[in-house]
Amino acid sequence: MHMIIVGCGRVGSTIARELQSQGHEIVVIDRNKDAFRRLGEDFIGRKVAGIGFDRAVLEEAGITPDSAVMAVTSGDNSNIMIARVAREMFGVQRVAARIYDPKRAAIYQRLGIATVATVAWTSNQILNIVFPQQSSPTWTNPTSSHFIYERHIHASGAGRAIDEFTTEECRVVLLGRNGVTQIPPTTVLLQDGDVLHVLATSAAIAMFDHAVTAHQGSHS
Amino acid sequence: MNIFRRQRSDSPVVEESVYPLIASLTPRSKTAIRGRVVRIVRQPTQGLPTLLVRIEDASGAATAVWLGRRSIGGLDLGRTVVIEGVPMTSATGLRFLNPAYTLLP
Amino acid sequence: MKIIIAGAGSVGRYMAEQLSSTGNEVTLIDSDANAISRVNIAGVTVTLGDACEVDTLSKAGLSNADVVAAVTGDDEDNLVISLLAKQEFAVPRVVARVNNPNNEWMFNEMWGVDVAVSTPHLLTAMVEEAVSIGSLVRIMKFEHGKAQLAEVTLAAGSPAIGTRIADLGLPRETTVVAIMRDGHVLSPQADIPLHQGDEVVVLLTGDVEQDVRRVLIGNSAS
Repeated sequence: MHMIIVGCGRVGSTIARELQSQGHEIVVIDRNKDAFRRLGEDFIGRKVAGIGFDRAVLEEAGITPDSAVMAVTSGDNSNIMIARVAREMFGVQRVAARIYDPKRAAIYQRLGIATVATVAWTSNQILNIVFPQQSSPTWTNPTSSHFIYERHIHASGAGRAIDEFTTEECRVVLLGRNGVTQIPPTTVLLQDGDVLHVLATSAAIAMFDHAVTAHQGSHS
Repeated sequence: MNIFRRQRSDSPVVEESVYPLIASLTPRSKTAIRGRVVRIVRQPTQGLPTLLVRIEDASGAATAVWLGRRSIGGLDLGRTVVIEGVPMTSATGLRFLNPAYTLLP
Repeated sequence: MKIIIAGAGSVGRYMAEQLSSTGNEVTLIDSDANAISRVNIAGVTVTLGDACEVDTLSKAGLSNADVVAAVTGDDEDNLVISLLAKQEFAVPRVVARVNNPNNEWMFNEMWGVDVAVSTPHLLTAMVEEAVSIGSLVRIMKFEHGKAQLAEVTLAAGSPAIGTRIADLGLPRETTVVAIMRDGHVLSPQADIPLHQGDEVVVLLTGDVEQDVRRVLIGNSAS
């Protein structure tokens, strides 16, 4: 996949190296050329010096609607701008923005942009947004029979009750929406942008992933 | 405001009396309304996508405006929804800009 | 009117002073304590805090403000402040300063901005107005970008020379505001014939710029 990472600090450079090792086509954007040093000698991806919400810079980075864009600069405001330009100007669907301040993140989530708001973040959390089904579970029990997985809901899952995905081997234990996290009743309808924590067996999570991305039938 | 607490009580369907009627709203005062989606318009603003969703309750209608979006999953014609935000007056009635929303069955 | 100004640099302080002297209730916001301490204007309140945070905006009184002016030296901040002002506080009028002209394209309703002011843009327009003959100079936009004030100084080959204003054939979405001739301002009576060198000031709405150029400049010129 063609992936654009804006911000080559500790976060951005770590994600860039990790994703490159997975074989993706990576482009890193940063205002400051010196920041690219963090990528190391073996980094073969492209580097573009410039401002991440500048249209010409994004075009130079080869942005297309099929790209994935991760806005991980040290500025919350810049990250939101980058995310919106990518989504609205260039039609990018897979966009994630890092927002340092959790209160701001709650507000920006209403814009429909997937945000990661945490001080002690991990690259896994950003990757969770772009590669939902490949990230590792956040918890396992000692016998590895059950796992808790983080899942982001997109349009295909929206409007469907949690009930529809609840089985003896699969429960949605946490629902995060607009900055509020709850243990949800199964009657709640899922929405685009919801962040779920799903407790399931590995077989059950595969079924969950398949069911939640399958296009729903017509409304009753 | 916590939608979940209400839903956890009895039925999944929230009582209508819990939400103020659109006709009774004071502009610029944070609030939540419940209504049905009666119209969806995708309108480009300065070349960028904007979604306008008209929501109606027993007393009238208001418009939810989302900047930069072409559609919102599950927010279709006929859907019952709760909208939460700060309404502003406009030529076409009250508008909510990028409100929080909750889809109801 | 109640006006909140985000950014207590020299621009913000100047605005606060002017607006307060004409009887408005003005509050300045800045996150820099030094900038705040330099504010010593009668009748102006100050709020210390990050204007990109809803709590600060709330403290500063946006809930019943009539106008918010986001005039920091940082375009990212100005856009976010504008969006929050519209989204969280439904402020009727939001004015924002554009620092870098490359960002001007974002300063509109998509970020909650009603009026964007770019000093470089204004400077250019003023220079063009002073020196250009035979081209259309865009001076200023109003009404959420729907109305534009522009001017054309009629060059020698202009098809409008010798024609009365009423006979120009300007599109409906245009008003001739004034004619400047030899240092005088002429109000645009319908029967005034235009001369070479007249500076024609027009207000246009809609997409009629091309038509206005055709009438006042002709087909070959820019």
